[in-house]
Amino acid sequence: MSIIKIESVHKTYNPEKIPVHALRGVDLSIEKGEFTAIVGPSGSGKTTLLNIIGGLDRPSQGKITINNKDISTLSDNDMIKFRKDNIGFVFQAYNLIPVLTARENVEFVMVLQNKSQKERDHRANELLEVVGLADKKDNRPSELSGGQQQRVAVARALASKPAFVLADEPTANLDSASTASLLDMMANLNKEEGMTFVFSTHDQRVIDRARRVVTLVDGKIESDETR
Amino acid sequence: MLPKIAWRNVWRSRARSFVVIGAVLLGVWAFITMISFSLSLTKNYVDDAIRFQTSHIQIHHPDFEEDKGLQFLLDEKVFDKAKSQPSVQVAARRTIVNGMIKSSRGARGITIKGVEPEEELTLTTINEKLIEGRYFQKGKTNEILISTKMAEKLKLKLRKKVVLQFQDFKGDITAGSFRIVGLFNTGNTVADLGMVMVNRSDINRILGNENTLHEIAIQLKNASNDLESAQENLVTSLPNTTIKNYRQISPDIQLYESQIYISVSVLLFIFMLALVFGILNTMLMAVLERTKELGMLMAVGMSKGRVFLMIVLETIMLGLVGAPLGLGAGWLTVRYLNKTGIDLGGYAEGFERFGLSTMIRPELETELYFILMVAVFFTALLASLYPAYRAIKLKPMEAIRKI
Repeated sequence: MSIIKIESVHKTYNPEKIPVHALRGVDLSIEKGEFTAIVGPSGSGKTTLLNIIGGLDRPSQGKITINNKDISTLSDNDMIKFRKDNIGFVFQAYNLIPVLTARENVEFVMVLQNKSQKERDHRANELLEVVGLADKKDNRPSELSGGQQQRVAVARALASKPAFVLADEPTANLDSASTASLLDMMANLNKEEGMTFVFSTHDQRVIDRARRVVTLVDGKIESDETR
Repeated sequence: MLPKIAWRNVWRSRARSFVVIGAVLLGVWAFITMISFSLSLTKNYVDDAIRFQTSHIQIHHPDFEEDKGLQFLLDEKVFDKAKSQPSVQVAARRTIVNGMIKSSRGARGITIKGVEPEEELTLTTINEKLIEGRYFQKGKTNEILISTKMAEKLKLKLRKKVVLQFQDFKGDITAGSFRIVGLFNTGNTVADLGMVMVNRSDINRILGNENTLHEIAIQLKNASNDLESAQENLVTSLPNTTIKNYRQISPDIQLYESQIYISVSVLLFIFMLALVFGILNTMLMAVLERTKELGMLMAVGMSKGRVFLMIVLETIMLGLVGAPLGLGAGWLTVRYLNKTGIDLGGYAEGFERFGLSTMIRPELETELYFILMVAVFFTALLASLYPAYRAIKLKPMEAIRKI
C-alpha cells in the first residue's frame, strides 16, 4: 500500500521573474515500511521534493497524496495539524528545543497532540530506551553530542506515531561512528517496527544502507533502484 | 509545557533578560517613588487647605457668598441640626468679618475669624501650629492669634496689642483692641497672611449682636467616600442655607487634585511607552535569533496560535519578573521616606507661598501598586504582539534553513 504518492509534481520558484524549475514532473510512490534514500547532486531538487512530501512546501503543479489524503489543497493551519499527526521530521542540524531536556523534547509533539502525561511519559521513556539514551533523558541538548542529539531527534520524530519519518541529510553533521550507530538504529526501527524512512542525502554511508535509492537530476527522477 | 518553555526561554539570554528586568524594576521603582512624592505633596496641600481654610463643608446664609455682608446670618438652630447629622464628625461656629489689622508699624486687610475656642480646636487643631504663645484661655477677653508671617510683616511680637477695624451692622467703622497671645504657622503663606483668629464672643460683642453667626464649618467622618452624599443630606435637612463642599469653596483644590491625577496618568503613559519599546526590542531580537527554532516548532506541528501564545507568555513573564521587584523596592522606599520624611526646608519659602507644607511624608495607596502591576502586564502584552506576529509569519521551510 502506498503511503506517499506523488503525481506529476512540478515546482517552480520565482515563476514571474527568473523562474527556477526545481522539480519537473516527478512521479513517485513510497510503500509502507520502505527505507528510501533520495539522492542527487546539489540543486537536483531532493530537498524541494522532501519539503513537498513533508507538507512544508506546496507544488506548483501535481498532486501529493499521503495515506490517501490529498495534501496539496490543505490550508496552512490544516497542514500544520496534518504534519503533527502524520509526519516525523529529522533535520540536518538536529533542531531540538534547547531549553527542554531530551525527554521533554521527545514529549513535545505528544503535548501538541494533547496526549495524557502518563502516555507521554511511557512513550518518551520507551523511545529513549530504543535510541539508547535512557540515561541521558534529563540532559539538555547542549549537554549531548551531535550523534546523541540526532538520536533524540529521531525519538521525537517517532513520538507522535507518524505514518513515516522524513530525514533531511540526517548524518551531514555526524562523524563516522555516530553515523553508523544512527543508521543501525533507524534500520532496526524500520525492520522491527515497520517504520517508513525517507532520507535526502549525499552521504554514501546512508545510500549504502538504503533499500531503495531514488536519484534526482535537474528536478527529474533519473533512476529508481530497489535493492 | 508552553509556560515551561516560555519561562525557560526568558532565561536563555540572561544578560539581555536582566537588562529588561532591570529596566522594569528601575522604572516601577522610580515611578512609585515619584508618584508617592507628588501625591503626598498634593494631599498635604489639600489636607492643610481643608483643615485651616475650608473644612469639608461650610454652611452660610444664601446671600453671604455674594459680598460677605455682615447681615447675612445663620440661626443657631442650623448649627444644632447640622451637628446632629450622622455623617458629621465635628462642627464649629464662626463669625466672619472682613477688616483691617493695624499695628504701630502698618496695616493689612484681613479676614477676622471669630471662633468658639473649644469647637475650633476639634476642627482646625490650630493649637498644634502655634510657634509661640498659647491658645485662647477661658475667661480672658480680647485675645488674638496671628501668624508669625503677619507678625513679621507688621513688626509685632507676642503680648503686643493690635487694633482690628471693621464695619458694624449699621455700616459704621468700629474697632477693638486685642492682645496677641499666640503666633501660629500653618505652613501655608496664603492662609497665614490672610486671616486672624479671635474669640467669637469678643467680636460679636464689638459688632453689637451676641448671636452673630456667619459660618458653620464641618468636618465629616468619612469625607473621601461620603462627601457628596453628606452634603446632599445637609442640603435636604437645612433649607434656606448654602452648603458647599471644599471643592466648591476652593476650586483650586479641585484643580490641584485633578491636575495631579492627570500628571500621574501622563507619567504612567510615558513610562509604559518607554517600556513597550524596550521590551518589544528585546523580544524582537529574541524572535529573530530563534527563527530556525520557531520554524522547526511549526514544522513538527506547533500551531500558529500556540507559537503566538508562547511569545506572548514569554514577554509577559519577562515584564512581570521585574515588576514585583520594582514594586517591592518602591514600597520599601516609600515606607522609609514616610518614616523619615522629606524635608524641603531649602525650598520652604517657595513651597509655603503656594500653600504647600515643607515636610513631605510620601505614601501610596495599595490600589496604585495594583494598578501599576496591571499596567506592566498590559505593557508587556502590548509589546509582545508585534514579535509574536513576526514569529507566526515565518515560513517553516525557510525558517529552518536560516543560518
